[in-house]
Amino acid sequence: MKLVVNGQEHVVDAPVGTSLASVLRERIGLTGTKIACNEGHCGACTVMIDGVPVLSCITLAHTVEGDVTTIEGLRDHPLVNAFVQADAVQCGFCTPGQVVSAAALVAANPEPSEEDIRHAMAGNICRCGTYPKIEEAILHWRD
Amino acid sequence: MDLLQPSSLEDVDGGLVVHGGTEVVPLLRDGILHADTLVDVRNVVPRGISGGVIGAGTTLAELEVEPQIPAALREACRLAASPQLRNMSSLGGNLLQSTRCWYWRLKYPCRLHGGDRCHAAEGEHREHAIFGNDFCASAHPSDVAAALLALDARLRTSRRELAVADLYRLPDEGNRRTTTLEPGELILEVELPQVESSAYLKAMDRKRWSFPQVGVAVARTGGGTRIALAGVAPVPWLLAGPEELDRATPLERTAWKVDVARALAGRALAQLP
Amino acid sequence: MARLIRTEKEVEGNFEEIWLVVEEDPLEQWPAGPLDVVGRPAVRKDALERVRGEARYTADIRLPGMLHAAVLRSPYAHARVKTIDLAPALELPGVRAAIGPGDAPGLEAEAGYAGAAVAAVAAETFGQARAALEAIRVDWEELEVVVDPEQAVERGLVHGEPERYERGDFDRAVAEADVVVEGTYRTQVVLHNSMETHQSVCEWVGDRLDVYTSTQYVWGVRSEVAGELGMPADKVRVVCEYMGGGFGSKNSAGEYTFAAAALSRATGRPVRCALTRREENVAAGNRNATIQRLTAAARSDGTIVALGGEFVNALGWGGWSASTEGPLKMLYACDNVRTTRHTAKINTPPMKAFRAPGFVEGTFGLECIIDELAAKLDVDPLELRRKNYASSNDGTPFSSKNLTQCYELAQKHWDRRHDVRARSDATWKRGVGMASQIWYGGGGPPSYAWTRVGSDGRITVVTAMQDIGTGTRTAMAQIAAEELGVPLDRVEVTLGDTARGPYATLSAGSSTTPSIGPAVRAAAADARRQIIEIAAQRYDLEERVLEIRDARIVSADGNLSVALEEFLEILGSAQILGKGARGPNPTGMSVLTFGVHVVEAAVDVETGEVRVERVAAIHDVGRIVNPLGAESQVEGGIIQGIGHTLSEQRLLDEETGRVLTTSLDAYRMPTIADVPEIVCEFVDEPDAHLTNLGSKGLGEPPIVPIAAAIANAIRDATGADVHELPVTREEMLRALREAAKKERRGSPAAV
Repeated sequence: MKLVVNGQEHVVDAPVGTSLASVLRERIGLTGTKIACNEGHCGACTVMIDGVPVLSCITLAHTVEGDVTTIEGLRDHPLVNAFVQADAVQCGFCTPGQVVSAAALVAANPEPSEEDIRHAMAGNICRCGTYPKIEEAILHWRD
Repeated sequence: MDLLQPSSLEDVDGGLVVHGGTEVVPLLRDGILHADTLVDVRNVVPRGISGGVIGAGTTLAELEVEPQIPAALREACRLAASPQLRNMSSLGGNLLQSTRCWYWRLKYPCRLHGGDRCHAAEGEHREHAIFGNDFCASAHPSDVAAALLALDARLRTSRRELAVADLYRLPDEGNRRTTTLEPGELILEVELPQVESSAYLKAMDRKRWSFPQVGVAVARTGGGTRIALAGVAPVPWLLAGPEELDRATPLERTAWKVDVARALAGRALAQLP
Repeated sequence: MARLIRTEKEVEGNFEEIWLVVEEDPLEQWPAGPLDVVGRPAVRKDALERVRGEARYTADIRLPGMLHAAVLRSPYAHARVKTIDLAPALELPGVRAAIGPGDAPGLEAEAGYAGAAVAAVAAETFGQARAALEAIRVDWEELEVVVDPEQAVERGLVHGEPERYERGDFDRAVAEADVVVEGTYRTQVVLHNSMETHQSVCEWVGDRLDVYTSTQYVWGVRSEVAGELGMPADKVRVVCEYMGGGFGSKNSAGEYTFAAAALSRATGRPVRCALTRREENVAAGNRNATIQRLTAAARSDGTIVALGGEFVNALGWGGWSASTEGPLKMLYACDNVRTTRHTAKINTPPMKAFRAPGFVEGTFGLECIIDELAAKLDVDPLELRRKNYASSNDGTPFSSKNLTQCYELAQKHWDRRHDVRARSDATWKRGVGMASQIWYGGGGPPSYAWTRVGSDGRITVVTAMQDIGTGTRTAMAQIAAEELGVPLDRVEVTLGDTARGPYATLSAGSSTTPSIGPAVRAAAADARRQIIEIAAQRYDLEERVLEIRDARIVSADGNLSVALEEFLEILGSAQILGKGARGPNPTGMSVLTFGVHVVEAAVDVETGEVRVERVAAIHDVGRIVNPLGAESQVEGGIIQGIGHTLSEQRLLDEETGRVLTTSLDAYRMPTIADVPEIVCEFVDEPDAHLTNLGSKGLGEPPIVPIAAAIANAIRDATGADVHELPVTREEMLRALREAAKKERRGSPAAV
């Protein structure tokens, strides 16, 4: 299987049924993508495929055709600083997934309203409850 | 396990069909579905909108921002699942999703799994059915299905054309399935009749990312008004009229859903011009 | 100087009397209010690596040759293993070892709940380990299952004797009261659901064991593991640099740690044992359900004369019984109080501490019945609370209490209620409710810290504490920076490793900042003193005229002003080492935190939907070290509390005792869309009696009053009394019907 991740091509040998999250973390060593529920319910494993946020824990790696972007590919995105400055991180385990979802949102809609943010970010569960700060970070992501 | 990625319908022959994978992948892992061969049908099932016809491979995310489609369907897509799941899941796949009944998901030997009792009816059923629930008390989780049922949509499959209503069947002793789709049969397109107006209202226990406690879709055509409900029966439920709610058969802990459905049905109808 | 004292130690509201070696704490407190660094908003020291996905959590630890373990769990709520055959598992591909009951602490032959750990397998992949579990043959003897807590209490299936407390003459006070209100309140089981599940990676290195684990207490895991395995504690190294949430559930080692250690010993390879999400929701602990039968009695002038409670803590198979009656005993001045707490032992998963255990549940009941009393007395709920203000803890003075100031700050939010109610319409009824909070959070000794100052004038704080996501790493850096007179970016904090730093207490019970903060300040002061001593020698000045300010050593007359890093060049490779210890808590005083929440809620009276629209939170937790991080804590507590109040509940199948809500589609925590407007205010007044810092903890206080404040807002909006959590649509519609019935009978709905 060939995967393009953050612009780099990887050739990976894994059995059919292996999730994209597992390939990213275990085979390619990109552990920024977290697995928290491993069944598509929490958003911690969010990555982009061709710019669209998907859940890598229930994406079969062999079915991936587009370019994968993980948090490692977004490390210099202005959102990172926005999250840091807004204190939009507590334990941080959900945060990479939050940043990926947010990056897709601002790419499609550079000036999202609070409602836009709440709609687009509702699939990323944060048990620490950093949501108000996440909202603030996204509202001011370019500042 | 093998993976096939056919490029034409003729090449689809056996195996477990997967599209977005949001339902099939977890069920495979849980051992509720089994497969030697997975068939990724994304290159086979049409995607996109053309007039009143929607490719069954169109994602819910694409539909939620689509101004051409009736409000009920758009809203059902917008309020379904989570953003990532809407990005992944196809319209056709959504119609075929299984119940969220915890007994079924946790593989209790319930009637839907071929067993001889409904664990929910006798056990924890506060999120379960108020109609069609004497054999199996599960609730159908598809917002989209209720919308399409109210819109009286028609489906074109790889083998036939049928009304959405005919896709579903209540499970019974002789047949535990909740759809009439045959093995290997694929939903290809959804055809929407002209409607004058429509709406979808959804009761959730959080404002987003919740399966419907009760979803109410209404659609008005020259011929009349159709009401369909999500989350209230083992299949999407077509309601003859709000008064049919008086004939609901709630379980001990699901009577509240009747009240919610009544209120939402009234509001949805009032929204129609 | 070290000193031996006999003292009461409090963790999560649990007290024990112990001997304690403490060191004097001679530093004067800083003045109140924002200083140069402390008291000013600071971005987290570790935010960047967490946001960029570079922080290495236990989940990310990959050791060479690492195996993966899976745990076999009981399918029965109560059963005993008659025989177990591990051999078939060992024959499967990739399997390297299997262990059964008795082979590791936590793997037991008697399963007291469905999900209790029985055996474990290590294999090359997690999938192989899981598959091997199915091959293990167990012959079970099923035992009687009891899941009803009241039935358990009746039958004597309990953890210990009932806890009884009485002051004054409760019966007489009730008999003589003008108004008596009684009510039964129920709270549900809720699950921690830390995003990172409970997990450990264990590796034997010679006779030493390295444990990488997601924990709130590296030292606790160290002593527990050493104790259970019969090893010297310094042969166990516990590492937790970053962890993905705990909320009280990660205070101890857990079967996954012991299984990983045993399997690692058996295979000679590192072993990871990580719970799946579904295991997490069964076997990682929970906030136990409670039943609370409460009585509140008052004179017609609003003086509360009696408070009583019969409590049942439905604890499950294990855990400890938290003080559900605590708020009722302490929040109000009331001469006559009687409480009894039963602790049911039922065949359900064990309780673990969850963010203010006992007080979250107890405050729901208490603060609801206080509002029902206010309604019956026709007194303003805020006025009733002020009137019955407790100025001591049943005679023991508070080290500090500024709840009055909290009420004053709350007044402007409370005054909005007329406008809020006026925004009601035919379907959406709006109202405002309040609830007070009381909780511990004073921390205590022992905890230690070191500081290291290099010739570049940079400071490293070394202490083997942990930052569980609460921002304590940052708070410690701020405290050291303030004491040393340097900007925050000059300070690094090394933590999370028992082999690299002195003992520091657990990050639970709102105790990290109040326990470790003073030690860090003392360690920084020690380094500062040494720098001044050297500077005095170098510049031939008296120590008393020198200080460090803005990272410069300056003399009082202004003649000397030299950059710290310039001066410290003389150190070369030498370092200045400071050490500090947490001093004792004040004797004869109750150290507690206080606060009040004012909630605006809307209820759709036709569909039972409840929306929390605005929460104003005012807290008194002593000095605020980092207002930005503190605000995040408050918001997080409120949001978690909203989940507890409206949407979260662990459900069981009563017949099998199995948890049904094991996945996050069924166990529903709030999303970003559920967040109300949150206004966060602090009294920010240092506790003059508490340490050199005057700070108390803030992790737990914000979750304590939220459920009652929401319930009281619902009552204000609709007249309906909700007595059960969560307030689902079903419960809301039931309460509305009940209220309508009462109204038809002619009495005001709220009585």
